[in-house]
Amino acid sequence: MPAARRALRQTLFGLAAAAGLSAIALAGPAQDYVLNCMGCHGASAEGVPGKVPALARTLVQFMRLPAGRSYVLRVPGASNSMLSDAQLAEVLNWIAAHFGAAQLPASAPLFTAQEVAVQRRTPMVSVQATRSQVVKDLAAGGSAPDEHY
Amino acid sequence: MHPLDRLFEKSSRSLAQRTSRRSFVAVLGQVLTGTLLLPLLPIDRVNRAEAAAAAGAALPPPHQPSDDPQSCDYWKYCAIDGFLCSCCGGSAHSCPPGSSASVIAWIGTCHNPSDGRDYIVSYNDCCGKSSCGNCACNRNEREKPLYRLSRNNDFNWCAANNDSNYHCTVSVILGAAEQ
Repeated sequence: MPAARRALRQTLFGLAAAAGLSAIALAGPAQDYVLNCMGCHGASAEGVPGKVPALARTLVQFMRLPAGRSYVLRVPGASNSMLSDAQLAEVLNWIAAHFGAAQLPASAPLFTAQEVAVQRRTPMVSVQATRSQVVKDLAAGGSAPDEHY
Repeated sequence: MHPLDRLFEKSSRSLAQRTSRRSFVAVLGQVLTGTLLLPLLPIDRVNRAEAAAAAGAALPPPHQPSDDPQSCDYWKYCAIDGFLCSCCGGSAHSCPPGSSASVIAWIGTCHNPSDGRDYIVSYNDCCGKSSCGNCACNRNEREKPLYRLSRNNDFNWCAANNDSNYHCTVSVILGAAEQ
């Protein structure tokens, strides 16, 4: 088997294995993540540096502040997704638990369908400017994600 | 004057004396208007509708399942949009030599007629070479229009790779889907 082909096969099997997906039936928020988020954010929610923001470890940081929670729910990938308010809340809580549980502060509440319903219908004018401001606010009170992903 | 010319002159003068250009335009307008309005009349078309339905029922379904990985009708390709890597030197799930899998992908759900289950399939583009051009498939089941960006497949999934040249597309099963 050529090295390139072997490397690809390992990569693809790694993708499935990393999310615990191989040979199992998916359902609920895990399936919603695969069908609606994983294509861009990746099986490990690490994103693509410089192009796709990571969700692993950073989502829980945004969850600490109301402005961060609002930002997460209003970015186009979340607000425009095909998921219902309840499904979006559930999948975000699932991401926080699976890709950053150690960083999830006990004081940060989980997302609810009501919170999603209010926030996702409030348009965000500038994603980058909003992210920059939220990151500054987070940095003032502890750890924060990178301003530029 | 030639007899033929005389004949045409006589007939033209006779016609001009008996008719007017204005009446001709009026008659022409009536004919055109009537032709346009005729299809709007309440005509019973049930018979034609039944015939059309019968003809439609006789048509084969749009995609007959295939076991050939080099056919667009292979069950796993239900949401694919691109050239099959199995026709380009690779296989249904591995990129041809010299290309690398895209780091972002279109993910869809396909029904496997063999076991009656739905499977989640990741369609990764293979990048780094010019377009293959063989076995172009465009099935895109469950795709949404462009304003539903997260569920639209008209996108170069090599865009996040260092080399964004698109070559072909592979299909990798990620797991079984539950409703």
